[in-house]
Amino acid sequence: MAKLPTSVENIIDKHGPHKNFTPVDGYKGTHEPDALVKTHCCFCGMQCGIQLKVKENKVVGFEPWMEFPFNEGRLCPKGVQRYLQNNHPDRILSPLQRVEGKGFEPIGWDAAMDRTVNEIKRIQRDYGNDAFGMLSGVSLTNEKSYMVGKFARVALKTANLDYNGRLCMVSAGAGNKKAFGLDRISNNWSDLKHAEVIIIAGTNISETFPTLTHYIWQARDNGAKLIVVDPRVTPIARTADLHLPIKPGTDSALFGMILKILADNDWLDHDFIDNHTSGFEEALDAVKDYDLDWAQETTGINKDLILQAATLWGKASTSFLLHARGIEHHTKGVDNVVSCINIVLATGRIGRPYCGYGTITGQGNGQGGREHGHKCDQLPGNRDITNPEHRKYIADVWGIDEKDMPGKGLSAYELIEAIHRGEIKGLITICFNPLVSLPNNNFVREALEKLEYYVAIDFFLNETARHADVIMAGSLHEEEEGTVTTAEGRVVKINAAVTPPDNARRDGDIIMELAHRLGAGDKFNFENSEAIFNELRVASKGGTADYYGITYEKIVNNMGIFWPCPSLDHPGTPRLWEDKKFRTPDGKAHFNAAPFRPSSEVVDKEYPVVLTTGRVVSQYLSGTQTRRIGKLVDQYPEPLLEIHPKLAYQYGIKERELVKVITRRGEALFPAQLVETIREDTVFIPYHWGGVHSANQLTIGTLDPVSKIPEFKVCACKLDPTGKLAPHPSESNAYQSN
Amino acid sequence: MPNTKYDQQMEFFVDMQRCIGCHACEMACAECETNGQESMIHIHYVDRAVTTQTTVQVCMHCEDPACANVCPADAISKDDFGVVHTANTARCIGCSNCVLACPFGVPQKNEAAELMMKCNMCYDRTSAGKKPMCATVCPTQALFYGTREEIQKMRPNSTPVNKFFFGMQEVNTKVNIMMPKGSTHLKVH
Amino acid sequence: MYRLIKTLNRTALIKAIIAALAVIIIVFIGSRNLQHFDAALIAYLFGTVFAVFGVAYRYSVWVQRPPTRLYWRRSWQFLLSKDFAQYAFHSTKLFFRNIMLQRHIYPRGRMRWWGHFMLATGCLIAFAVTIPLTFGWVHFTLEAGSDTTYTANFFGFPVSQFELGSPIAFATFHALVWCSVLVTIGAVIMLKRRLTHGGMIATQTFEGDWLPLILLIAISITGLGISYDYTFLQGRTHQFMSVTHAITVILFLIWMPFGKFFHIFQRLAQVGANIYKVEGTRRGLAKCPHTQQDFASQLHVNDLKDVTKDLGFDFTLEDGRSHLDYSPEGKRSALAKAHFQARKDAGHFFG
Repeated sequence: MAKLPTSVENIIDKHGPHKNFTPVDGYKGTHEPDALVKTHCCFCGMQCGIQLKVKENKVVGFEPWMEFPFNEGRLCPKGVQRYLQNNHPDRILSPLQRVEGKGFEPIGWDAAMDRTVNEIKRIQRDYGNDAFGMLSGVSLTNEKSYMVGKFARVALKTANLDYNGRLCMVSAGAGNKKAFGLDRISNNWSDLKHAEVIIIAGTNISETFPTLTHYIWQARDNGAKLIVVDPRVTPIARTADLHLPIKPGTDSALFGMILKILADNDWLDHDFIDNHTSGFEEALDAVKDYDLDWAQETTGINKDLILQAATLWGKASTSFLLHARGIEHHTKGVDNVVSCINIVLATGRIGRPYCGYGTITGQGNGQGGREHGHKCDQLPGNRDITNPEHRKYIADVWGIDEKDMPGKGLSAYELIEAIHRGEIKGLITICFNPLVSLPNNNFVREALEKLEYYVAIDFFLNETARHADVIMAGSLHEEEEGTVTTAEGRVVKINAAVTPPDNARRDGDIIMELAHRLGAGDKFNFENSEAIFNELRVASKGGTADYYGITYEKIVNNMGIFWPCPSLDHPGTPRLWEDKKFRTPDGKAHFNAAPFRPSSEVVDKEYPVVLTTGRVVSQYLSGTQTRRIGKLVDQYPEPLLEIHPKLAYQYGIKERELVKVITRRGEALFPAQLVETIREDTVFIPYHWGGVHSANQLTIGTLDPVSKIPEFKVCACKLDPTGKLAPHPSESNAYQSN
Repeated sequence: MPNTKYDQQMEFFVDMQRCIGCHACEMACAECETNGQESMIHIHYVDRAVTTQTTVQVCMHCEDPACANVCPADAISKDDFGVVHTANTARCIGCSNCVLACPFGVPQKNEAAELMMKCNMCYDRTSAGKKPMCATVCPTQALFYGTREEIQKMRPNSTPVNKFFFGMQEVNTKVNIMMPKGSTHLKVH
Repeated sequence: MYRLIKTLNRTALIKAIIAALAVIIIVFIGSRNLQHFDAALIAYLFGTVFAVFGVAYRYSVWVQRPPTRLYWRRSWQFLLSKDFAQYAFHSTKLFFRNIMLQRHIYPRGRMRWWGHFMLATGCLIAFAVTIPLTFGWVHFTLEAGSDTTYTANFFGFPVSQFELGSPIAFATFHALVWCSVLVTIGAVIMLKRRLTHGGMIATQTFEGDWLPLILLIAISITGLGISYDYTFLQGRTHQFMSVTHAITVILFLIWMPFGKFFHIFQRLAQVGANIYKVEGTRRGLAKCPHTQQDFASQLHVNDLKDVTKDLGFDFTLEDGRSHLDYSPEGKRSALAKAHFQARKDAGHFFG
């Protein structure tokens, strides 16, 4: 609702972000903790195993968990520092209420619940059920994701539920469903180790999934050739056998060209294509006019490099292709994904040892979260909310009439647009910070200011929640038991290490109480997280993401279980498609034609430079958690404009000079960082910061027609150097989002 | 009292071409209880304007440590396992001789405390039979702690080298750097 | 025995003998030819003379080492230069800040500093009280014609008078009690850290770290025992208390040159190191050829080139420059570049 209740400085002063550091001698009890709790890191889809040191109901440190097979103790800097969220001065310890002119004042749970339920009822009575929207996120466990999905449909009775995975891997999900009828990476990571050729496209593994690097390096020790497709020489691209410095937004042209070269040289697996796929001719037809000159012109990659990459891929006997947001955050994200899948299918290298393909899911529970919960078009088990059979099955599990189940709702960005148009009047968010993470966030802010009622559930006051009427004090990752599904499809156990401090509550308890007060209490009588999981198992049964055979006990005993796992005696499925039985209607893997088309906003005379965005290793997504951890903030204190010295020279831009970056949606100042490790026509800004330092003031809100993912990775900008040098990084205070 | 579980079969191996500059080692180093939230490992870009190459440097634990030799206060000592320990806090006078004389650029001075500090191979952990923090968390295993047999099996095309030349000066170390197979030394200058 | 004497450092031996003799001479002077010397303290005196001998010997050996000699020479050179006034003032300031207050410990932990400060202050005041008494420099006499007015005499000269039973008398006669309390609290704080701090537990040794603290506590407790005895037990256990106290103190004195307590004397070099840094910075900074940043004084870099040569290291490069011209970051980068080149030349980054 409306603008901020008081100045942003006042809010920051009280609720942060503040930088938290471990005391000089460590937290009390770190040498002799009461317990070491085995759990997983709260950041990213790798879900590294970690042990938290607990002393007197506080997390005081960590100890590597050497036995967990994926990471064997290895961690990235975020994982090492994750424990600093506990003991944090910014922690919301009780429900808060917006007080005009003052900021946020504590209130009791009853008052917070009463007010919220009354507002929900009022808004839904006056404007209809769908006028109250919900936005969720996939840092939540499977249990919470499932419950959010059920809560929105059964208690809140709104169609308009979506989640931050919409900004993450929905293009990959949609592409995978088109091609395979199922949305999961085909192999577990250990199949990387002996792949002869590895292509990683649009994924800065070294900064976004550091612990996966070990698997790539092991493959290289065994002789693998590494091909990296990225506009920047990322740390993983530095020593790669081939680095293809692609012009942002042209991935499908590159992979289309590679498909053409494979076909021209007959580097194809005809047996696989003929017996297990469909659509090859159509896919090939879409690229029949491509040639290397055109590809070089379009993608900006030297044609020799393209040919070398295609040759390496074509001649290999084992291979792995991985991609992530770099090719997915586009208005043609799904096209990019299927163009990658096409070259995998053409060579038939899937469903065998060391032959794999997949997206690297970004968020902690990006995989499990998108299967069971809060996607606007989906029901548990990766079911389709528009499919009558699927609706019936889930309605039965939930004990409701299928007719009462809302239909497909708006996707995340569309939901914000609907708020802006005045169609959605009330909003509840959990685990989502759209004001930092959505594109064109000046527009998002305007939308938030139009809400009649906004309630946020969170443990820190994130930038979006600064606009809330009521904030419910939720729980940290280490305060609630549950499961998550890692990027390789392994379901692992999150163990509660401590209970929520003071008057904060577990997220699950908050949602359940809201459901009770909204009159759906009988559908939310879960005794504990395991009870929720057991209902999820039933709900997923028979779906593509089948968890029925997975139990807490099995997870613990086996260090995780790979879905699908349809029965209790099933060991799980670390490698998909060994039976070549794809989950498409015809049982075959589908090629999909992906003719190249330009991005939604291309450079022109007025806006001549390509702007792309991404991440840095020390920060995670919108930074609600990582911008509060001192050492992570200090490692990369402010967003920099990465620019090639030649482009900088054209504008007379010097190192650390403040440059105004302008797009059709906004403008912002960034210190320049002159590096030869980026294309000459492209600038890069990381997006983890809010307020005046936010890169998403500039990005564009156009969406992929299928996946509805926004085009974060490419838009047109112009540069206006100010002639002033930026103050020392430590003085920028960018982490505060002022 | 000094723990006796130090395993002399375990060795430290570094390969900075594997380093991705993530700083996990640096964060983890601060968790080592001997250095009180100060990080002793060095990780930085080599020349960011032209490359994303980073380097990572732990104490190499020299056989004849220059740092200990140039210490005017006898504050640095090497133990029976070959671990060169950080400055004895009672003796160190904060003169920085070791900081400037170490050929690997390892010791650092804590200006406020007028004290030199350096990596002691996570003595709190290694003396208890555990791996050092940095090598445990290193996501790329640019820092590896294990036996010689393990590393030879994992990286058959590399040779661990512990002899370095700086001009005419030969320096032999306890810590190894992984070099192309067959290498006998690394000539820095 | 002969072999032992042969291995002794002749310069140091001479200096140590001179120092020990000097102490004996000033004991004679200060006590007016042993007139005011308290015979009961003879064991303490012997202990002290031995400690002086030992400390002087070790100090002298220490100062002969090339890096120490450099600092020693440079410190006096800068202190006795035309900037004497400035450096003398600076040194005095540092003496109070680092030696008396031990401020450099504070950044490493507040309790750590409190512990050390109490312990050190207690020790220093106790030294200041007991050494003049042991040497017979100070003695107390009853004012003629009064049985309540005491006079304190220093080197045989009366310096102050106070009434028996006055607060000043109470404070004076109990000075060692206060010291003991300070030392005990400080030592307990330090011991507690050594019991609970993981890093200390891993690296400490019994003789290097625990024994000194235990010894200090033993001295304090037995010293307090003497006071307790004459205040509350009418001297019934005096013999026992004084003998145990004497044993602990003499152990302390004899051990001083060898063990951890020697750092009390080494700490003075910190003042020299600070002056060296100030003067070095004034004379000009060295710029690293890699980082292009100033990183130390050129004086320091040049001196170290000499010192390392004295110690048998030669970091001179083929082109005549030195590896020591590089900053620590420059040295690390040089190694990384050499490694990168070696890998590149071999054709594989991995293997």
